[in-house]
Amino acid sequence: MEVCLVDEQIKDLEFEVKEDEELKLSLACFETFKNCEINVKVHKNGKIDAAFADFSKGSGTLRMNVYLLEEGASASFHGACLCGGSDKKKIDASLIHEAPHTKGLVSNYGIAQEEGKLAFLGTSHLKHGTVSSSTRQEAKIIVFDPTSDGRCDPILKIDEADITASHAATVGKLNDDHLFYLLSRGLSEDKAKRLMIMGYLKPIIAYFPESMTERLTAAIEGGVAHD
Amino acid sequence: MSELVIKDLHVSVKGKPILKGVNLTLRQGETLALLGPNGHGKSTLLSAIMGHPSFTVDSGSITLDGKDVLAMTVDERSKAGVFLAMQYPPEIPGVNSADFYKAAMNERRERPMSLFQFFSGLQAAYKEIGIPFEMSNRNLNEGFSGGERKRNEILQMKLLDPKFALLDEIDSGLDVDAMQIVAKAIEEEEAKGKGFLVVSHYARLYEMIHPTRAAVMVNGRIAVEGGPELIKRIDTQGYEWIKTELGIPVEKEEGPMNKVSIGVCATKEALGK
Repeated sequence: MEVCLVDEQIKDLEFEVKEDEELKLSLACFETFKNCEINVKVHKNGKIDAAFADFSKGSGTLRMNVYLLEEGASASFHGACLCGGSDKKKIDASLIHEAPHTKGLVSNYGIAQEEGKLAFLGTSHLKHGTVSSSTRQEAKIIVFDPTSDGRCDPILKIDEADITASHAATVGKLNDDHLFYLLSRGLSEDKAKRLMIMGYLKPIIAYFPESMTERLTAAIEGGVAHD
Repeated sequence: MSELVIKDLHVSVKGKPILKGVNLTLRQGETLALLGPNGHGKSTLLSAIMGHPSFTVDSGSITLDGKDVLAMTVDERSKAGVFLAMQYPPEIPGVNSADFYKAAMNERRERPMSLFQFFSGLQAAYKEIGIPFEMSNRNLNEGFSGGERKRNEILQMKLLDPKFALLDEIDSGLDVDAMQIVAKAIEEEEAKGKGFLVVSHYARLYEMIHPTRAAVMVNGRIAVEGGPELIKRIDTQGYEWIKTELGIPVEKEEGPMNKVSIGVCATKEALGK
């Protein structure tokens, strides 16, 4: 099943993925940031692939909890978030592994610009008995202006020995050497940064239905406030 | 005819002086071979001309037809006609090659090119440089081999058509065939009247592109300038004669050298015995 929710449609929601079912859930936020909590329960060999693209204004927390309840359940969450103005945004994607042979991935990319404050949180919890399960948390934020702030706090809670878990988090500026390369070919600083940011956020489009491509591309291209 | 003039240029990196008074003039239509031992400032000079932020110009001047290059931003230098083919072109994740080339070419025009005009030019350039056109759809340098990246630099040089091209070890990582293709492309641009400043350690590239002049950089200065015969001399004799004939001691590269190796008594080395 494929579910794509835009702006007002994003709210507190519950989903249940039944045995052997697959859910593609994509959320796109263009206007106002939504403070909400989405809970997903995944049963035996079920699968959820979630994506969240956010170019909205406003502050708040988007929380998503995925419960991998039975054997073979798997989940992925891909996020791309642009945080500017004086907005404060938190994206908290957590995976709760309750059964053996469960698999999870959380991967978030973000840009903090102007006075924006962006935080990627998220706990991957591997409970006792979740043998042969694997989980990964990755988060990367590019901090654009001296006044903007980014924070990545991936947490792994592990109660079982026979599992694989990893996390990676980076907060940094745009790479100076990359920027120099683009500038040295005659691109203005604004254009070069815009290109780099587009390259950074564009991969999220692949997780959305094709009908959304144009709107998402426009939001990404228009996203960098500097002109 | 355009002229790139460097006068008494002093450049440092993180407070450490690298260039200590470089004087050099490059005219359009010339190909100048810049030689010198490793770590004596050749790449620094090229990067400083282009305006890399890691290099601080402490004093001196660089002018292009009388215009102050040091006052220009990096992109302004590019648009003024300076091109640097980098020794290690970085991979730029997410930036599509063709999109980037189009943006860079349009920056120097009043009206953007038509897509047809752009793609036919791009296709021709790829063919000439000998890389598959499909690669234009890949991200910039991402997953490219060392040789592909170098060819990609020459490709961009052709697309952007600068007055002066600075080539930093363009031949490293190239196999013999690729070197011939790159040399041919350089020769063609030489014939069109571009000026070249070429850094390489190997006489082979120089034999193919026929420099009109040569200069040797030692200790952050130009120690000798001369005709192309200088290249042959260095290729056969190395840099020792600079010390004996010109009285310029060649400083060795600094750096924490670990003197201890297998077969050496570490304690004796540490005690200086």
